[in-house]
Amino acid sequence: MDDPKAIIETYVDDVVRHLPRRQRHDVGYELRSLLNEDLDGRAADSGRPADAATALELLTAFGRPQEVADRYRPAGFTVIRPADAPGFARLALGGLVLQWAVTLTAAFTTPAPTDAWIYADSWWGRLTTWWLSWGLGSFWWPGFLITLTLISAAFARRRPEAKPWTPRRTLDRDHVNRPAIVLGLAAGMLGATLMIALPWLAVWAPGLPQPLLDAFAFDPQFLHRRAVWALPLWAAGFAVQTVVLIAGRWDRRTRLVRLVLGLGWLVLLGWWLAAGRIFAADAADGTARLGLLLVVGFVIVDIVVTVRRTPASIRPPVVRA
Amino acid sequence: MVDSPAGQSLKLEQDLRKGVLVLAVLSQLRTQQYGYSLRQALAERGMPIEEGTLYPLLRRLESQGLLASQWQVDDGPPRRYYTLSVQGAEAYRELTGAWRSLTSVVDRLVDEEG
Repeated sequence: MDDPKAIIETYVDDVVRHLPRRQRHDVGYELRSLLNEDLDGRAADSGRPADAATALELLTAFGRPQEVADRYRPAGFTVIRPADAPGFARLALGGLVLQWAVTLTAAFTTPAPTDAWIYADSWWGRLTTWWLSWGLGSFWWPGFLITLTLISAAFARRRPEAKPWTPRRTLDRDHVNRPAIVLGLAAGMLGATLMIALPWLAVWAPGLPQPLLDAFAFDPQFLHRRAVWALPLWAAGFAVQTVVLIAGRWDRRTRLVRLVLGLGWLVLLGWWLAAGRIFAADAADGTARLGLLLVVGFVIVDIVVTVRRTPASIRPPVVRA
Repeated sequence: MVDSPAGQSLKLEQDLRKGVLVLAVLSQLRTQQYGYSLRQALAERGMPIEEGTLYPLLRRLESQGLLASQWQVDDGPPRRYYTLSVQGAEAYRELTGAWRSLTSVVDRLVDEEG
């Protein structure tokens, strides 16, 4: 294609293809006329007739057709703000990878249906079946997120003006609710007392029926070797709560002690669960283990919350004299 | 990727020019011009603007109501001539005031001894 006018014609076609239909003829006619005039101007400046090289030079400087078409359009709107982009990418890709991990594992571990194609049980047959079902199907998640984001962006555009920023309510997480601590201490002490008294149930409640007394009979090994370690942890826990009650707030030191106590409880409960029976009766032992597993869950949550709320120790920089 | 110092300066200068592009264009459209003649007029006055930037800008300013345009035939093919609309003339006056104030402030800032 050596005719410079034909090159411009093709270029204009490529630009207007990306424009709204109602603009195409008007912008196309004007753009063609201006580019031809520019081409003639360049040719006159160089003192030689317009050729394909001059036209290409002009059009290269003008820009790629799609970019030029973008310039003709009004500024678009932001679908995902730059600050939200990394989080959005993590959420979209994380959801996709999670679905793939779960469904791919299932695809290779569940037995292939007997009425499926003959290669359904081979590794590549399973992979193909998975890809054509869950593999591709998992892309619903990024699509769903994009659709929600588009709807949200459209609503945001309709809103006349964003509200001015106001400081969010500051939460003083170190401040404690004294009545709650008192109640917690009372309940904890009552619970600890009951637990400590349980091995002597027959002594202080002799009127209870024998099957009930048998049900709450501790395993002797547990009672003598493992149970006793709960006492220092309880005592330390009550001491920390009392200190916090007096101070009226948590600080780094009390949080660290709570963290250590939480880890101590985790180790002790793990030992209790792993080292043998807790109650002599099977039913009571099974129930106790289930209850202790629940307590382990609570302790883990408490440790995580304490770690998050323990303020980092900020040391001043070393300043050279 | 970090630009070279020369590339960075060029980009900063382009950003600076981009900010005053609209004012420069409006200033020349107090009398009607078509795209090519406007580009020539700006270039002759020391403000060359790439065609690929100027021509779409004229359309955008028109869609914002700052310019009015019409096809006309003088000596040659039909051309679309642009001129300031009433709203554009008002915007031009305001932008001129803002520009004068800005240049005087920036002049003072850059002339200050460090």
